[in-house]
Formats: sequence, C-alpha cells, structure tokens
Amino acid sequence: MKTLIRTIRNSEFLTFNEVLKLKVLIINLFLMVFVLLSIPLDTVDEFGWSINIIIPIVFFGSVIVTFLLSLVNFNRVAMHLSILTVMGLTYYYVTGTDYLFTYILFFVSLTVIIFYQDIITYLLYGGVLTLYGLFYISSNGSELTGYYSSTSIGVSSLTYQVIFVGFYLVFLLQFLISDNIYEKLNNEYVRMNKTLERYQDFSHSHLIEFIEKMDANPVYKNQGFQLAVNELSVFVNEFFEEDGTEITEVVEFYFFIHSADIDEVIKDENLPAVTRRYASELRKYTLNKRTELVSILFDFATLFKGEDSYDDNRYVYNIDKLFRNRLDKILALVILYKYLRTEITQYDRFGFINRVLTHEEITVMFTSKEFREFISFEQVNFFVDNQELFEKHL
Amino acid sequence: MERQENKYKYGQLEQFKEALELGHIKRKMLVVNIIIILLSGILLYFAIGQNIDDSLVYPSILMLGIIVLINIGFYHVDHDLYSNLKLAMYTTIIGLYVTANVLVFNFLTPSVFTVLFLTYAIVAVYQDLKAMILSSSALFISGFLLVNESPRIFSPTEDGNPQIIYVQSFLLIFVLLLTLSSYILIKRKTFFYNQLASIKESELRNIELMEEVAFINTKKEKDLSPYYKSIEDFNKALSKKIGVPDLLGRRISILTDLKTNSAVDLTQKYKDYTLEEIQELEVLQFDVHKKMQQLSIKASKSLDINVTKKEIFSESQFKSFKHIGDSRYTQIISFVVFYTLLKIDKPYLKKLDEAVIKDMLYNSEFYYRVDRDIIEVYLNNSEVFDTIVNDYLKGGF
Repeated sequence: MKTLIRTIRNSEFLTFNEVLKLKVLIINLFLMVFVLLSIPLDTVDEFGWSINIIIPIVFFGSVIVTFLLSLVNFNRVAMHLSILTVMGLTYYYVTGTDYLFTYILFFVSLTVIIFYQDIITYLLYGGVLTLYGLFYISSNGSELTGYYSSTSIGVSSLTYQVIFVGFYLVFLLQFLISDNIYEKLNNEYVRMNKTLERYQDFSHSHLIEFIEKMDANPVYKNQGFQLAVNELSVFVNEFFEEDGTEITEVVEFYFFIHSADIDEVIKDENLPAVTRRYASELRKYTLNKRTELVSILFDFATLFKGEDSYDDNRYVYNIDKLFRNRLDKILALVILYKYLRTEITQYDRFGFINRVLTHEEITVMFTSKEFREFISFEQVNFFVDNQELFEKHL
Repeated sequence: MERQENKYKYGQLEQFKEALELGHIKRKMLVVNIIIILLSGILLYFAIGQNIDDSLVYPSILMLGIIVLINIGFYHVDHDLYSNLKLAMYTTIIGLYVTANVLVFNFLTPSVFTVLFLTYAIVAVYQDLKAMILSSSALFISGFLLVNESPRIFSPTEDGNPQIIYVQSFLLIFVLLLTLSSYILIKRKTFFYNQLASIKESELRNIELMEEVAFINTKKEKDLSPYYKSIEDFNKALSKKIGVPDLLGRRISILTDLKTNSAVDLTQKYKDYTLEEIQELEVLQFDVHKKMQQLSIKASKSLDINVTKKEIFSESQFKSFKHIGDSRYTQIISFVVFYTLLKIDKPYLKKLDEAVIKDMLYNSEFYYRVDRDIIEVYLNNSEVFDTIVNDYLKGGF
C-alpha cells in the first residue's frame, strides 16, 4: 500500500503505460470492494440464490483476470475488462434491487471510465452507459422518486435525466479541454526538444573538432575511463545478481560499438539476437555521437549556466511581439538577415560547422510557414519587396 | 533526509509557469461561467415550465448570477490577474456548492441530491489541485451530512430501509475515484507545465553552452560591429528606393550610442524619443543585449523541424537512463557512464566533487531519470563510487 501511495504521488514521472497500469490496479481495488458488497444476498432480492452466488464469483474471476492482464502488461485490455466489469456490476445492481442508492452506481461507473482519461473509451462506454441510464430512468422513474419526495414523478425523472446527461457532457467537455491543452503542450515540448537537440548536435560537433585539433583521444577510448565504468557496473550489478561476468561483457561490447557501424550490427542476422538487442539499447548512450546520454550531460551542465532574471520577453522570439514600432521591426528583420548571412551556423557537405546561409536559403526560410514563429506576413512582404537590397547591402 | 525537489530547478521557472498557466485558467473560467449560465437557464425552465414552487428555485438562480458577476469582477481587476483568477476560482467553487446544497435542502428529493455530482463535474473543469481538494471535501461533507441527517429521502416506501451504508459507500468510492483521477491528471499536467517551462529556459542555456563550446573550438570571439556599416548602407538604399530622406538613420545612431550609453542618458540627447522607445531599441543593440543573437541562432536551427502525432505521445521524448524495455545492464551502464563523466574535466564542465554530484542527483529532476533501484544503490554507496572512479582515473584524465 505504501508503494502504491508513493507511486501515485510520483505519477507524473511515469510513462503512459505505467500510468495506465497504475489506474487498472486502483480500479481493481475498488472493484474488489464492489464485488464484496455484492455478496450479501438480501440486497439483491430479484434473483434466485444460485445466481446470487454465481454472479459474485464471476465478477471476482473478472477482477482476477484484469489483474493478471495488467501483470503481463496488457494494460489496455485490462482497462476494457475492468470497465466492462463495473458496467456489469451496475447492471446487476440496478436490475436486481429497488433501492434508490443503486442509481448512484451509474455515476460511479461513469467515474471509473473517467478515471482512465481516454476520450474514445469515454465516448464509447460512457455513451452506452448514459443511454442505458436515461432508458432506466424513463422506465423506472416511479421507483426512483422516493416515498417522501416533494416533487412529482415527472419532475423527478426529468431532474435525474438532466443531471445525468449534464454530468456526462460536462466531463466530456473537460476531456476535450484537457486533451487539447495536453496535446498542445506536448506538441510544443517535442518541437522544443528537437530544437534543443540541434544545439546539442552543434555543441557536440564543436567538441569533436576541438578534440581532433588537440590531437587528443576521445574519452571513450581512454583505458582508465573504460576500467572505471566496468568496475562500477560490476559493483552496481552485485546488488541485483551475484555473477558479474555477463555485465563485464556488455560493458566491453558498449565500448566496442563506438567504433562499429551500429546499424550494421543491428541488421546483421548472423549475430546472436542478444548482441543485436544490446546494440540497439546501448546506441542511445554512446559518446561518439550526440546521443541521449550526451544530451543529458549537456542538460546537466546547463544547471551551472548564468541565472539572468526573468522578464516577460525572455522566451519570446517573434519580432512582431518583441517590438511595437514598425521601424524597429524592420531593423530587427535586417539584423536577423545580416546574422544569418554573416555567421557560420550550418554544417557543410563534409559535416563540419563551416557554412553560412545563402540569400536563396534565407529567402526559402523567411517565406516558409514554420518561420511565422519569428516574423509576420508583413515582414515577409517587406523582405520580398526589397530582397535585392537585402542581398546587395547586408 | 527529505528530497528538496526545487533545489536545482532553473530559477526562472515559476514566473514563466504562471504566465503559461494564466492563459489556460482564463479559458477554463470562461467555460465554467458558460456552464453556470446554462444551468441557470435550466433552473429557470424548471421554475416556469414544470410548475415548481418559485421560492425553491429563484434563490439558487440569483446565487448563480452573483457567481458570474464575481467572476467578471475578478477578471477586470488590473493588478495581479493570476492571483485574482485563482481567487475567482475558489469563490466559484464555494458558491457552486452552497447553491447545490440550497437546492438539495430545499427539495430534499433523491433526484436533486445528484446535483452535487454535477457540481463536482463542473468544478473538475478547472483541473487545479487546491480546487480539487476543496471540491472533493465539499462533496463528501455535503453528501455525508445529507444522507445522515435526512436518510428517509432515500427510502423507496413509507417504511422501507434506505440502505444508508450503501449510499455512503458509493459516495465515498465516487469521491475517492474522482479525486485520484483528478490528482493524477493534475500532477501530470503540472509536470508538463514544468517540462515546457524548463525546456524554454534550457534552450537559452543550451544556446549559451553552444556558443561557449564554439569559442573553445574556434577561439574566435563573435564581432558584430561591422553590421552597423551594412545596416547604414541598407538604410541609404532603402530610403532612396521609397523616396524618404533617411528612414532608419536616427535609430541607427541611437543603436550605436547605446553601446556606450544607457537608455536614460540618451533621452537627453534624443529629445524626440521617449524612454520607452529607446528601451525598445536597446533590445536591438546586439553588442549589449543578447536577444537578437538568441533569436538569430534559434532561427538558424529551426528549419525543417516536423512533429508527428506518433512523436507527441511517445515516452522516448523524455531522455533518461530507464527506458521501458531496456535491460538492467543497459540501465546500469548508461548511468555509470554518465556518473563517471561527471567526475572528469570536460571543456564545458569541470569535474564535480562527490558531495556536489550526490546532492544534485538527489535533489534535482535527474533523480527521476535513473532507475529507482540503481539510484538508491548509488545514493547508499556514493563513497564506494567515488573511490572506484578515483582509483582508475588517478593522476588525471
């Protein structure tokens, strides 16, 4: 239970699949409570005793299967099964009793579906459940009114229906807003991530050029470094298994792939599957290219960079938003063009950072849709109208 | 020892996160108010179309109207909009639950009881942690009190058993599930705000790092001063083309003067320019201000970046040493290589002391980039790690 609470508290660091697994586990715990509540037979008086025994067993079996499915990482199937189980339980309760509380189960079932935060699942199962709920209210309105109710059966049924549909629609709206925000944030994050990788590609290329100029060996070729990595890996591995031979081989292989064509290793069907698998896993962490490990290292280094104070324009890169005066915007455009035409910002055809952009390339850039992130249509038009001046004087 | 998650966060995050969140709060506030207006319309329909006692419904409609007015009021207060909107949000939540309870206690029918669930749904639109806690507590307390104080409203017949324990159990399950659901959703959303804010700052610092590494490699300092000559030539040609005497000349003069003078000082020299105008020009001063360089560098690297739908929800976007499907050996080796690299001098980052590494790995988001078991092994045995690396890298690297 402690682990479960800790996992929920740190759920933002889980992957989508891990979150789904966690949700299935939580729903399963709740379903167990439901199934236990279904056992007292006097609450379900419309069915015979045999059904009253068989049904809890079936539901219990369903919960067990859901749990097993999530154990083997079939989390989506487990999710569907848990929803079907709760819908089955709802049906069982509302058709088997005449108590008013069973109506609340419709809300609880919708809540289970909401819990998974999957819009398609919500539309499908939630839609079916809402329609069934409306039908149930229409045909059992008198039973749901309550003996001491101050309103008529008609008003009571209408109230039930309006609130139930409202509940479904408001959560649907919440899904749409949340999905929209989430997708936008995600999209921007991925785009930023890719841009960041470009800077890091350049930083890494500069470092490689620097090492070559110094006539030094890259770190992964240093024997002391290799031995330290090996010894530490064996040490850490001892906490998980006794034999350190295998990890030593994997460490050797890790350093070996720095001088090999990893794509060829992965594709080579003559090699054992385990070798190809390790090549595929370890390529993310090699040091001769700008890999994930190199990026993490750069990210770590940025923690030591300057701490300029925050201002509203700190992350604004759009000339139109940065400046209000039209002439200032023209000046900004001129400086941008001049920088791109003058400074080395690109790889040459040999893979060295040694090239400036040509006027033609800048024109393609300025007129592209993606570049609206930096300049507006008005500035593009100004550039197009005066591009001979840009080319000649800047 | 408790982790201090914020110890190594970028200092600028909180302010940007606030700005990022502000836009979303505005939209959610609008949606909630539209729903409240619709709800008022439905209540009005019940009062007029269904012949319900007006005195039972009108107070609630009035309260909903007041909530909308309060929201409009908070929205239009100029100072500190973020805090105002948060305050408007909490006021709305309390107002909605008060209205729902008034309705429930006025009617005392099981059908109106479910309006509490609808209230919860409306409040869930906000997706805010404090709002969620407030809403869950309000729902549970209102529901629990009502069921305890007036159990007979759930009775199907005159002497029927209302099965209060079931109503309370289902209410508890309902509140717990929705609270957990909102909690996980809000945590993940907040995490994204953090990530996005973090990556924006990381971009600026990576640009700085790239420039620093480029200087180490090329040994050439960037000299942008010849730009002024080109810009002057461009200005002359442009002025001639459009037929004005000197379109950008004064501005170029201010720009060159800003290299050695402050904006305030220049207001004396350029009396036809306000301080704000000169401060805006200051951003263009590429010898003093970094903005134009940062903008140009970003622009130079931004072409042909495409994002596919598949990439948007891919966990591979998060760089770590604990990817799903990777073997334990890979997770160990990747972390160990990273750790060993922190222990050696690099052109852009000097080797770090063991105490600094341990503190940073424990108290930063990097803690979550390593498999939990592996990072625990490190944290519990950092001295052994230190000794091993020092032994092999003895005498320098």
